[in-house]
Amino acid sequence: MTTNTAKIIAKDLEMRFEDKHLFSASKLVFEQNRVIHLQGDNGCGKTTLMKLLAGFYQPTKGKIYAEGFAIAPWWRSNSITGKALYLHQHPYLFEGSVLYNLTYPQRFLTADKAQLQARTEQAIDKAQLRHLLNQAASSLSGGEKQRLAIARAWIIQPKLLMLDEPTSNMDKHSQHLVLQMITDLKQQGTGMLISSHQTCMLTKVCDHAWLVSDKTITTDNVSTLKDTEPTQVELAPALQVSAG
Amino acid sequence: MNEGWLALIQQALSLLFSLDPEVWSIISVSFAVSFAALAITLLPSMVLGFLLAFTRFPGRWLVTNLIQTLQSIPTVVIGLLVYLLLTRMGPLGDLKWLFTQKGMILGQMLICAPVLVAMSQAAFTSVDRRAWETSRTLGAPKLSAIWAVCRELKVPLLLAIVAAFSRILTEIGCSMMVGGNIAGVTRNIPTAIALETSKGDFAQAIALGLVLLVLALILNFALGTLRGKAEPRSH
Repeated sequence: MTTNTAKIIAKDLEMRFEDKHLFSASKLVFEQNRVIHLQGDNGCGKTTLMKLLAGFYQPTKGKIYAEGFAIAPWWRSNSITGKALYLHQHPYLFEGSVLYNLTYPQRFLTADKAQLQARTEQAIDKAQLRHLLNQAASSLSGGEKQRLAIARAWIIQPKLLMLDEPTSNMDKHSQHLVLQMITDLKQQGTGMLISSHQTCMLTKVCDHAWLVSDKTITTDNVSTLKDTEPTQVELAPALQVSAG
Repeated sequence: MNEGWLALIQQALSLLFSLDPEVWSIISVSFAVSFAALAITLLPSMVLGFLLAFTRFPGRWLVTNLIQTLQSIPTVVIGLLVYLLLTRMGPLGDLKWLFTQKGMILGQMLICAPVLVAMSQAAFTSVDRRAWETSRTLGAPKLSAIWAVCRELKVPLLLAIVAAFSRILTEIGCSMMVGGNIAGVTRNIPTAIALETSKGDFAQAIALGLVLLVLALILNFALGTLRGKAEPRSH
């Protein structure tokens, strides 16, 4: 069945680094209108999975493809890179001011300039960055950097967004601001994959869960698991996705 | 003795500020040849540096080490190689570039390319991979992402350009052999300094030396300022 929902699909996925088998999965669907909590212990491959879906890495086996996105013009490649926005655990900010970093991706967008300008203004307020706009981005604290990176994503309003351990650098205040932007994006239909090895303020917005454990990625609906510690989750065998 | 030195420096400055045609012709030959060599070599060398830093292919190790080695080859040896290529019996003899500025440009290209490739490779290797990934994930096409990475590396890349330019502007071995030190045609600052010193005309040699010194000062101060403005990056 063909729908207009933007999604990234990984089939018969296997990821290895040299001889080390990281994980396998027979099918993963990351799509709009779903917020997924990616769980797993440190070093289990959560970041690698996200980078695979972002198109930065090639899987050892299997294929990853996108559906429901506009076809790129002939002079641009149709790779999956750029389809799902990936935010690093420690966001990278370009040399320059906070404003430069906020507006950096707008040159690659075809959206209406006035609309982008209006969203930028809203994002500045939501992330409480107005007093920092002309400051060098490199001088921001960890939480401010994270807020800036998420505000930048909020302006773009991506169809799919991946946040890698977003709360690792943030105090409660920053977490609240980010939660507000994430909730907005969820309401706008952005599909999100939020990695965290523990539950936090942001993972509460998740309605699905993927668990990377024992070299296997398991998917399930998080609504049935909300009160359970992620590491203790027992997943229904019928929903287990494994390509062992 | 001191008075003699002062008189020489006075003469040198007077040659420069009175716009002595001979001195300024030498300076213009120097800059024209070196700028041309740098301009032709810059882009391909940076691209090669980028490819060596970011791609993996059989023989990459060999190419990298070969380029490192080429950096330290004496310019006179490169001069000899270019001379043999351009001499009437040589494979490029039909071009008739020996003792011309074109020949000097070819020689200087061979001198500055390894410096540019090696230093840009080192710069690209040191880049934070997140710069590329962030740019790409935010929707930048590959060329725009490369530009974003270069922008992040502007200090080390400019340092590479300055180092390469300094090397060719001040080299004497290749210019002397391939250019032949012909007045008004191929006589550049280093060959003129060598000639005037051997003739005992120190004033002109000092005037030309001062040009190189002032240039070195300007470039280094400019780079120092740029480096000072660049914020140290942390997570």
